[in-house]
Amino acid sequence: MGLAARAVEAAGVATVALSVVREITEKTPPPRALFVRFPFGHALGEPGNRAQHLEVLRRAFTVLFSAREPGTIEDAGLRWRRERYADPDWEAWRFGRGGVKPAPTR
Amino acid sequence: MGGWKDRMVAKVFTRFPGLAARWARGLAADTEPIPWTPVTKPLAEATLAVVTTGGVHLRTQAPFDMVDPGGDPSFREVPMNAAPTDLIITHDYYDHADAERDLNLVFPAGRLREAVAAGVVGRLHGVGYSFMGHIDGAHVETLRRRSAPEVARRLAGAHVDYALLVPA
Repeated sequence: MGLAARAVEAAGVATVALSVVREITEKTPPPRALFVRFPFGHALGEPGNRAQHLEVLRRAFTVLFSAREPGTIEDAGLRWRRERYADPDWEAWRFGRGGVKPAPTR
Repeated sequence: MGGWKDRMVAKVFTRFPGLAARWARGLAADTEPIPWTPVTKPLAEATLAVVTTGGVHLRTQAPFDMVDPGGDPSFREVPMNAAPTDLIITHDYYDHADAERDLNLVFPAGRLREAVAAGVVGRLHGVGYSFMGHIDGAHVETLRRRSAPEVARRLAGAHVDYALLVPA
C-alpha cells in the first residue's frame, strides 16, 4: 500500500491512503494516511453502513487537504462497532479553495 | 497449494488485528524519501481515482495468483461503474466475506458515485486499479519498480488529480 501510494504521488497525483494496521503503515509510510482501527477487509467499516463509509471517506479527504508533511498518519479515533454515524453533511465535504476549510477529524 | 490454510490464517488475523501489529513490528522499515505533491484543486473540481489492494477484479479478468507464496504483483483495471455482480475478490490472505457482501469496504465506487452526485467530488476516473496486497520477496521489487509506477503513469497520463488508496 505504501509503495503504491508513493509511486502514484511521485508521478504528480496527490494521494491519501486508508490504513487498518498502524504498525504496517509506519514501516512504509505513504505520503498521507488515515488510520482506522478496523479489521482487515473493512477499511470503510461494516457492510451496508452507508453513513459510516461516508464518514471514513470524509475524514480521508480531510487528511488529503490538511496534511502538511509526507508520512502523516492521522488516527481517526473511531472504535469498531461502537460509534454512531450521522447521515452525511455534504457541506462538510467542500474541501479546497472556495469551499469550507477542512473540518477537524474529531 | 495451501489455499485453505491461508484462508484460516486470514480469518484469525481479521479477528485479531493485534497479531498483525505484532508481526508488522518485525518488518524492515522503508527509509526511502516519501514523495509529495501539493494539493491545490478543490475536491469538487477534481478527478479522483481509487486504488485498492483488496484483490477486486472483473469475473472476466484473470484471477490473482494464489499459488505463489510471494503473492502477485500485477494489477487489474476495474471499471468504476461495474455492477457488483460482475466483480469478484481473489485474495486468500484476508477474510473478504463482508467485502463480497458490500464491495464498498475495499472498493468504494458506489459511495464515491454518491459524493459525485452530491457535487462534492468533481468526477471519478473511469477505472480503479486493483492489486492484491499480500506481496513478498522478489515481487516487492516488481511492485516498486514496475507495476506501481505503471499505474502511476496511467493515472498521471489521464490527468487524475487525487488518488484514494484502500487496503485489504
